[in-house]
Amino acid sequence: MKNKKNPNRSLLIFCAPALLVYKIFKLYPAVSGIFYALTDWNGINKTYHFVGFSNFIEICGDSYFWNAMWFTLKYVLAIVVVANVVALLLAVAIESRPKGKGFFRTIFYMPNMISMVIGGYMWMFIFTKVLYYMADNWNMKFLDKSWIGNPKYSFVAIITVAAWGAVGYLMIIYMAALQGVPTELKAAASLDGANAWKIFWNVTFPLIGHAVTICVFWSLNSGFQVFDVIYALTGGGPGRATQSAAINIYEEAFKGNIRYGYATAKSMVLFLIVLLITMIQLRISKGKEEEL
Amino acid sequence: MKKKQLISNCLVYSFLFIGALYTLFPLFMALMNSLKTNGELLTNVMSLPQQLHAENYTRTFEKMKYFRSLGNTVLLAGVSVTLIILFSALAGWKLCRTKTKLSRFLFGLFVFSMLIPFSSIMIPLYKVTLVLHMKNSLFGLSLVYAGLGVSMAIFLYHGFVKGIPIELEESAGIDGSSSLQTFFYIIMPLLKPITTTICITNVLWVWNDFLLPLIIISNNKKYTLLLSTNTLFGQYSSDWTAILSALILAAIPVIIFYAVFQKQILKGIAEGAVKG
Repeated sequence: MKNKKNPNRSLLIFCAPALLVYKIFKLYPAVSGIFYALTDWNGINKTYHFVGFSNFIEICGDSYFWNAMWFTLKYVLAIVVVANVVALLLAVAIESRPKGKGFFRTIFYMPNMISMVIGGYMWMFIFTKVLYYMADNWNMKFLDKSWIGNPKYSFVAIITVAAWGAVGYLMIIYMAALQGVPTELKAAASLDGANAWKIFWNVTFPLIGHAVTICVFWSLNSGFQVFDVIYALTGGGPGRATQSAAINIYEEAFKGNIRYGYATAKSMVLFLIVLLITMIQLRISKGKEEEL
Repeated sequence: MKKKQLISNCLVYSFLFIGALYTLFPLFMALMNSLKTNGELLTNVMSLPQQLHAENYTRTFEKMKYFRSLGNTVLLAGVSVTLIILFSALAGWKLCRTKTKLSRFLFGLFVFSMLIPFSSIMIPLYKVTLVLHMKNSLFGLSLVYAGLGVSMAIFLYHGFVKGIPIELEESAGIDGSSSLQTFFYIIMPLLKPITTTICITNVLWVWNDFLLPLIIISNNKKYTLLLSTNTLFGQYSSDWTAILSALILAAIPVIIFYAVFQKQILKGIAEGAVKG
């Protein structure tokens, strides 16, 4: 009964293990990152010096980083649109028909079970071997492209694979939301003479607004951190043409340069950009949801 | 009217079938070609194998030290997820049941960091693991996963506990001063539905995570399945039968997991996402 007088004591005891690992492996790295970003810490010298904002000034003129950032933005835009549109289409198609729900759901979700590194390498085989075969033997000349070697086409390749991996997850969320839409509402609209298209846009879509917010938020957030797909498919190449921000930071820190301080400064810039964009997205979609 | 219905059915199902084919295509091509000889594969990637060349598999089995990598991955995912569930259930339940300023502050502290992307803490985190001598330690890596995973899990537990009437706990004789024992015997069973969800989402996360082990683990005795597949890919970049059989071997455990727990997985994913 002693603890009853001081609820905070037992609270701290129950939270202690979680707090400990959380502080050491998440909070401390996040906070100390701000400090490291202001130093010339690297993997070679034992000591490091405070260098003020010079890392950030260098970032401003670092065209490789901004190219990677620009590539990431293009990637995020493409994956958010493509993955969400396809996932919603699939979800609506599956939910609109009584037969085969479980079957299609199982298949479409399967790529999400496999790591994108494994999936990426499987697609690598498709892009470097199978498509050429189809182009030569099945007279599908449009497939005869340098899918991995030419940045113009490897962007398409990357989106193809990333969407393949993400659609199932989003589709499950959309399906759950669609199941929550009362059938009476749709039946009523149908009696009023609305066609399927109108029913979807005016009745169903507003009711699944919450799922749209979640899915856009998720694809936006994971898009900004994209690493595995690109690592497996192009490795950021040719040259640095398909580097994402995460790949650029990884290479700066762990490949060749080992400039930890500078790479940390880059990761701070990435964080601020992601934070800004997710805040804007949440504000917009919250506003939309309320309007509806 | 009937005819129209028929046409629309045809359209919807052909759309779904094309989608399904597209989804399974890389998996199927990898499986089919992994059973050929390299010569056969290079002549025709679309043909069925004339003979099943299972020796590709025995070869890669050795090369990627399959059982060792699999064991490492199972250990890593098992320990990480146990820690996440244990730590978060304790904290999440208590945070929800305690109504003080401190509890609100701690909950906020856990939740706010969910916005920080992993790539932003990756380098300082690497430094922490160096200082704590955790480089190449699978147990150390599972502690890291626990640290990164508790936020989301606490958030989910917190939300779930809110929906459990407190009378249930009171009638069981627990009040604010509950001990650990009563927690495990009475609270944990009540939390089972959300525990399943958290367990599934986290097993999949740790199992399929690549970047963190790539940074922390460099000793090949400690390689996870993904790391050994990745290394093999680098070493045998033109030996496609070796690579494809390695990819199939790496995918098999999750496919089995999916086949067995499909219902729970799909339910857990939807719930985890909507509440998160």
